[in-house]
Amino acid sequence: MKIPIKYNFRSLTNRRVGTLMTMLGIGLTVAIVVVMLAMVHGLDATFTDSGDELHLIVIRQGSQNEVNSYFNRDLYEIVRFLPDVARDENNQPLVAGEIITVINQQRLTGETSNVTIRGTDEMGFRLRPELSIVQGRMFQPGLREVMVSETLSNRFQDMRLGDTMRIDERAWSVVGIFEAGGTAVESEILAPYEDVAQEWNRPIYSSLLLRAESLEVIPSLQERISDDQRIQLQAVSQKKYFEDQTVASTGLKALAVFIALIIGIGSCFAIMNMMYGTVMARRHEIATMRAIGFRRRNILGSFVLEAAILALLGGVLGCLLASSFHGFSAGTANWATFSEVVYKFRVTPQIMMQGLLFALIVGIIGGFLPARRAARMRLIEVLRG
Amino acid sequence: MKFVRFLVKNVLRNKRRTLLTMSSIAVSLFLVATLLTLLDQLTNPPETPDSALRLITRHRISLFNVIPMSHGEKIREVEGVEAAYGSMWFGGVYKDPSNFFANFSVEADQFFEVNRDMIVPEDQKEAFINDRTGAVAGDSLAERFGWEIGDIIHLEGALFSFDPELTLRAIYSGGADDGSSLFFHWDYFDEGMNRAGIIGTYTIRTSSPEVLPAVAETIDSMLRSSTAPTKTETEREFILGFVNMLGNVQLFITSIVSVVIFTIVLVAANTMAMSIRERIREVGILKALGFRSSQVMALFLVESVLLALSGAMLGALAAWLVLPALNMAAISGGFVQRLAVTTPTLLLCAGIGLAVGVIAAGYPSWSASRRPTVQCLRMTA
Repeated sequence: MKIPIKYNFRSLTNRRVGTLMTMLGIGLTVAIVVVMLAMVHGLDATFTDSGDELHLIVIRQGSQNEVNSYFNRDLYEIVRFLPDVARDENNQPLVAGEIITVINQQRLTGETSNVTIRGTDEMGFRLRPELSIVQGRMFQPGLREVMVSETLSNRFQDMRLGDTMRIDERAWSVVGIFEAGGTAVESEILAPYEDVAQEWNRPIYSSLLLRAESLEVIPSLQERISDDQRIQLQAVSQKKYFEDQTVASTGLKALAVFIALIIGIGSCFAIMNMMYGTVMARRHEIATMRAIGFRRRNILGSFVLEAAILALLGGVLGCLLASSFHGFSAGTANWATFSEVVYKFRVTPQIMMQGLLFALIVGIIGGFLPARRAARMRLIEVLRG
Repeated sequence: MKFVRFLVKNVLRNKRRTLLTMSSIAVSLFLVATLLTLLDQLTNPPETPDSALRLITRHRISLFNVIPMSHGEKIREVEGVEAAYGSMWFGGVYKDPSNFFANFSVEADQFFEVNRDMIVPEDQKEAFINDRTGAVAGDSLAERFGWEIGDIIHLEGALFSFDPELTLRAIYSGGADDGSSLFFHWDYFDEGMNRAGIIGTYTIRTSSPEVLPAVAETIDSMLRSSTAPTKTETEREFILGFVNMLGNVQLFITSIVSVVIFTIVLVAANTMAMSIRERIREVGILKALGFRSSQVMALFLVESVLLALSGAMLGALAAWLVLPALNMAAISGGFVQRLAVTTPTLLLCAGIGLAVGVIAAGYPSWSASRRPTVQCLRMTA
């Protein structure tokens, strides 16, 4: 016969202070784990949410990303008029020629970091429908005007609407603030292509962003571009291009796993401690239960269950604590492009489930030995003593 | 002193509980010590007499903008400059991108002049300088891939369409990067680049730390109106610039450390509360024998500190022992070379143990010691 679960809840509420302290301890542990997972997930999602399956990024052969890619401007015309490139209502090919450069700017907190500037044009905006202006207006070519993402403008100096940014002693005015649904372009400053090319004295393109007519033509279009000996370019799927950049979170992932493992072990000891205390304090109850016919395995199960309930309650508390970090904005180095990527922590239901699973595992492992001790208690001795 | 035996007996009274609490604290402090060491290493790169003499010049806008090799001649003529070499980040891939390590092309002739803290046998220096396709690698890097002098190392260009085939001519230990990078001839690289003549940074050795600021100032003002204006900073500032890019490491690590410390306070407090509750009759006996409340409280506090401190030291010492033995370069993909727990960190961990002990026993010992003696004696566990 099973011991009713009510018994466990009663026992937990009986030792209120001990239960609460253990719960809080587990809760904080789970909160750390969940926040770290939310951080890694947020960083990864910045990249995995970016990109369109129909889009190709054309870069120089041998380059791994736009930042170290460059090629002559006449190649633009060749790529533009390739078959299978989608066209707009005016029969204009949907291809944007862009230039990327990186500047070193000061954060609001004082230290400096690298930020990407993308020189683009109206076509670049059309190919990024996720972009929307939240303040100010679109930049105008020839006036050294830039648009800054909302996240960047909250992180760096002189990037608010109406500010003047100094890049290499030249003044650029911030005329617009945009957002792009948390995608990678939110880590960039956008400026008119011509202005950037002129300012950096580099009449080149770093990349071309193009839209294919349909998913079916993509392989042949990619082949056509990379096989063309005249141009020495390669076309990468925009989706895959961004997915490859999730390596940015590798170090963080390793650190998160390391921390989770160690605090998990620490929590197991804590639960074990608490449960041994409970078992010893309740040895008369346990012996009585044995005497009235409950079996050893019922006792074992009941105490493991109690530890699991305790840990899960802690887990729920931890998830609640961690959820207040949802949307927290942070930045880190994207070593692929050598510049800062800004991301938001994302506490998703899946991550909370992982946190609860973590708590459950800790509870079961930590509860097992004390539960076995309870089950093996020799009832004669207990009842006599 | 007369209480020592009493205290030890009390700590060991419930061995299992003591062991579990200590293990829990030890495991947490192992983590705390590791994280604090990592933080210390990142935000406080070791300053050696040699690194205090070095400056690094880069393009003013960012490391992405290259500077012409003609800057080198001008820099070498500045007063206070003893030697300088240009280098270019190559970012080549060795077999697989996951084998990441730093690799640069450098102007070889003054390379060892500037990096006098690299320990290299003279004949190997010579061999590297004289072989245009030669390479010099750090000892921890060579160990990571099992390289020996004379081995052929094939790098695949990732940023540049050039795949150098190098012969390992020298292995150094020490240096600013603790033996973790590979360097090969800039001349060979430049040839592969069709003589583009591009350089990322100049590393400069000055004659004394006193002239350092003036040299940096002179270089930057001299090149201000050139095609590539520069920014010259100390090697330390340059390294910290990379750490800054990682984001707010300090906040990240200190928040995790604080939360972990708070959880061990909870664990220890729970233990002490349980332990004191079980011994409430003994408190009565002690007081009946004439112990004052403050003495009873002090006994519990010392007991708690003993428990927490030994757990904390166990964890910190484990980190001190284990971390240096690990091949951190391989574990962290070349990001951290080695982690060694310093004495200040050990002391800090001891301080944490002490504080945890005091806080944990604070309330339960206070309330137990205040309880009237008769009530204590009447209580049953």
